[in-house]
Amino acid sequence: MSLPGLQMPRGGTAASSPRGDGAIRMFHVSKSYLAGSFALRDVSIELGKSEFVFLTGPSGAGKTSLLKLLFGAERPSEGQIVVLGRNIARLGRAAIPPLRRRIGVVFQDFKLLSRRTVEENVALALQVTGTPPRETRAKVFAVLKQLGLQHRRFHYPLSLSGGEQQRVAIARALVNEPEILLADEPTGNLDPDLTVEIMDLIASTALRGTTVVVATHELEIVRRYGKRAVRLEGGRIVEDTRPAVANP
Amino acid sequence: MRRAFYKLLYFVRTAFRGMWSSPVTSGVSVITIGVTLVLVGAFALMLQNMEELLDKFGEDLLVTAYLEPDISEEALGHLESRVREVDGVGSVEGISPDEALARFSDTVGSKSALLEGLDVNPLPASLEISLTPERRSADGLEAVVGVIEGFPGVASISSGRDWVEGYLRAVALLRGIGTGLGAILALATLLIVANTIRLGIFARRDELEILSLVGASRAFVQTPFLMEGALQGAVGGAIALGLLFALFSVVLPGLEFGLELLVGSVPRFFTPTESLLMIGAGGVLGLIGSAAALSGRSQP
Repeated sequence: MSLPGLQMPRGGTAASSPRGDGAIRMFHVSKSYLAGSFALRDVSIELGKSEFVFLTGPSGAGKTSLLKLLFGAERPSEGQIVVLGRNIARLGRAAIPPLRRRIGVVFQDFKLLSRRTVEENVALALQVTGTPPRETRAKVFAVLKQLGLQHRRFHYPLSLSGGEQQRVAIARALVNEPEILLADEPTGNLDPDLTVEIMDLIASTALRGTTVVVATHELEIVRRYGKRAVRLEGGRIVEDTRPAVANP
Repeated sequence: MRRAFYKLLYFVRTAFRGMWSSPVTSGVSVITIGVTLVLVGAFALMLQNMEELLDKFGEDLLVTAYLEPDISEEALGHLESRVREVDGVGSVEGISPDEALARFSDTVGSKSALLEGLDVNPLPASLEISLTPERRSADGLEAVVGVIEGFPGVASISSGRDWVEGYLRAVALLRGIGTGLGAILALATLLIVANTIRLGIFARRDELEILSLVGASRAFVQTPFLMEGALQGAVGGAIALGLLFALFSVVLPGLEFGLELLVGSVPRFFTPTESLLMIGAGGVLGLIGSAAALSGRSQP
């Protein structure tokens, strides 16, 4: 399937999959915050369903800008972005929230509410959909148990370790069973042992059918997991390496 | 339907939590709305009682047409019939000079001996005219008097027109002051409430950002703030009502006797419906203040 009036990228380093069921497709996308200064320039990429992809590159390469475009926090200056079949560039403001409910997002700084318990933080993602309280509690408990945090559900975030806080953020991102999980430097604030623990958790979600995009500048992590890695520099895709064995 | 109910539950809980978590800013909103409504409510209460007093006076309002001294019995009967047919006239009673003197004598009581020296009855015959309810106003009075004045045989007319007009001017002035003051206070209140709600939004910006990230719609994010504003306004309205009632209860006993003697009635407090309206007015003030605070925010 292709969008009318849109051309798939040809050649170059940008990947172009022949599969029409891509969860994420970007066509010649540029993002400029100031005139003449581009955070992203002519980016074209396609990510399939349940694919696990690393976005790598130095600070300022455009990794965060690309993720922001994917969950509709920003609009592209040029080009088209199709996420889960919706063209973000043409999406009205009212259509963004329903799309976001299908996407889980994890940040380096966790973005947890310090005055809410772990359970309440995770439940937020379900409350916006009007999920009944009993069902919410059951789903929150299940995801916290899956992440080994069920005993911490009545604690407040500031009483948890960094790794636990990031697991809470992942629980919030996963409790809605999203089709896409975006993680922006999810291990940036964690020590090496916790980094592996958190990355294992994120990687496991791809095995359950979720498309996962992890932005990181830590090449050690990329090497360890041996997944597809898209390298950005100066807002452009400079390298797109795929593992020898089929993903995942 | 069920989902809408659970969302509503979330909104109510979040609105209460918002008030509870920022007692100082919420308190400022409540007090501001309360003070405004005490002042506006006091004016409304005064105005309402004055208007009711006017209605009461209207019921007793009589126009007296004094007739020419030499008017014959026949002419008096004819005039009485003509006056009865005038639009706005309810009833007409003819008073002969002798009846007028007898009434006067009754009125002066023990001093009626003073009248014994009179050789001739100086009092003229008159017609006492009451108005239909719809004409019991300054304009109605003027219209009726204007017609009767021109009838042959009528020497002069006495009515409460000057008094009614003065009273109506006082009511209009009070209404003008009340409306102007109310509008200024309501505007000031809206600004203060909008700013306190804005402070609340600023204090909870992290929460709003996270809600937006997990897919909350603009309405989902804003509704609790609107509810919070309405709630603060309603509480302010209830406090204002309580204060007014307390003032009314303290001040009224001291004035009750004098008022009853002078005007024959005692002021009343708001009815239950009017009281609910006042609480509702507070809620609407708070709601508009919140809406003003939320308008212009590009992010939910």
